[in-house]
Amino acid sequence: MIWFDNAATSFPKPPEVAERVAGCLTRCGGNAGRGAYRSAMAAAEAVYDCRAAVADFFGAASPLRVVFTAGATAALNLAIKGSVRKGDHVLISDLEHNAVFRPVYALARSGAITYDVFPTYAADRAATAARVLRGIEERIRPNTRLLVCTHASNICSAVLPAREIGMLCRRHRIRFILDAAQSAGHLEVNVGRFHADAVCVPAHKGLLGPQGAGMMILGDKTEMNTVIEGGSGVRSLDPEMPPDPPERYEAGTLPLPAIVGLREGLRAVEAVGIDTIRAHEKALFRRLRERLGELSGVQMSAPHAEGSVLLFHADGIPSERLAAELDERGFCVRAGFHCAAMAHKTLGTPESGAVRVSFGWKNTEEETDLLANAVGEIVSAR
Amino acid sequence: MPNPANRAPKTAAANRTEPRYCVAPVGSVSQAMHARDALAREGVPATVVRNDPAATRHGCAYAISYPCERERTVRAALRSAGIRWRGSAR
Repeated sequence: MIWFDNAATSFPKPPEVAERVAGCLTRCGGNAGRGAYRSAMAAAEAVYDCRAAVADFFGAASPLRVVFTAGATAALNLAIKGSVRKGDHVLISDLEHNAVFRPVYALARSGAITYDVFPTYAADRAATAARVLRGIEERIRPNTRLLVCTHASNICSAVLPAREIGMLCRRHRIRFILDAAQSAGHLEVNVGRFHADAVCVPAHKGLLGPQGAGMMILGDKTEMNTVIEGGSGVRSLDPEMPPDPPERYEAGTLPLPAIVGLREGLRAVEAVGIDTIRAHEKALFRRLRERLGELSGVQMSAPHAEGSVLLFHADGIPSERLAAELDERGFCVRAGFHCAAMAHKTLGTPESGAVRVSFGWKNTEEETDLLANAVGEIVSAR
Repeated sequence: MPNPANRAPKTAAANRTEPRYCVAPVGSVSQAMHARDALAREGVPATVVRNDPAATRHGCAYAISYPCERERTVRAALRSAGIRWRGSAR
C-alpha cells in the first residue's frame, strides 16, 4: 500500500505515536482533571505537557490558550458559533472546506447571520496577496464581526496570506479564525504572528498524531461563548461553565490516548523540521506535476501553487473510477469533491470531481514515479 | 514517667525548621500546572493539590501548595502567568 492521502489523515504514523497510545491504553487509567489520585494526576500531567508543546509549536501565549477538541471540525464549530451574535456579518473564502462553510451556512440559514464569500483567485497564476486583501476589504460591512478562512486548501496547494489577512482583520476590529487543518505540520502556523483570534487544527494530519483530537488555539485575549456545556472537573456546584480557558471550552472527558499520541507526533515533526518537510513535499509535487504533465488528457488544477496537494483529472475517466483503479494497483488517493464543493467550483473541476494526491513526509520519489506510471497506464488504456 | 522511646535524639536535621506550606486555589488543573511551572521558573517549589470542595463556593477545585514565606513571589508569578489570585490558606 502506498499512501498518498495525507490530506485526509497522515500515514504511517511515527512508531513512537503508536507506542505511546498503546502505553496509555494499557497503563494509564486516569481521566485528566477528574480527581487527584495518582493515575488521574498522571493523565492531567500528560494533557498539560501536550498543551505546553502545542502552545510552543503554534506561538500561543500560554498552554492555557490551547483548547482540546474532538478534531478540527469540532474546533471550527466552537470558534465560529462561539464568536457570532445575531445580526453579525461573516466573511469566508471561496476555498473553504465544509468544516467552515457548513457551520457558517447553518447560522445564516437560521437567520442568525449573513455571510459573503471573498475570492482567492486560486486558479489564477497571477493571484497576489494584495488582490485577496482587496477582495476582502470590498466586502467588509459595518456589522462584519468575523472572518474565517482556510490557511492551505485541502484540494490544491494554494495558501492564503494568513498574516496579512490577520493584520487587516485587526485593523478593522474583525475577529479572525484560521482553519489550519491542511497547513499545520506543513507550513509555519503562528497564532501570534498571524494576529489570529483562533487557529483550528487536527491532531491526525500534518502533526502525525492519532485521529480523535484537535485543537482550538486561542489568541492572547480571545474570549467567546461556550457552545458545548458539561462536566469540566472544576466548579461542579456552579451551573455555568468555568470562566477561564481551556476548561471553559472543554466540556466532557478529553481523548487522552489521542492527546498523548499527538505529543509524540509533534516531537517527530519538530525532529524533522517544518522547512525540511515543506521542501520534501514540494519536490515530490514538482516531480509528479512534471510526469502527469506529459500524459495526454490529464489536467491538473492550480498546478502553479506548489505544495503538498496535487489535484488532477483525466478526460473521459470519472474520478472515482480512476481512484479505484489506482487502489487496485496499491495507491491510496481520494477522488470526488473532498468535502469542499465550493473550492472545487473555484478551481473549475469537472462534474465527476477530481483525484487528489496529498504528500507526506514519508513519501518518496520512487513512490511518486510509481504513481505517475500507474496513472499513465490507466490513461493509455482508456 | 516519660517513655524514653518518645524522646527522639536531637540532631541537626531535627533542629531545622520545616517550611510551612500555604495553599492557593486556582481555576482548574491546567491553571494549577501552569502556575506550578511558572513558580518553578522563579525558584519556588510548588505542588498541585486538590482543594477541599467544602472550602470553596463552587465545589471541586485545584490549588497549588507552596512555602508560605514565598507568597509575594507567588502572587507576582501568578499575575504574570495570567492566573487570578484568589487568596490563600495555611
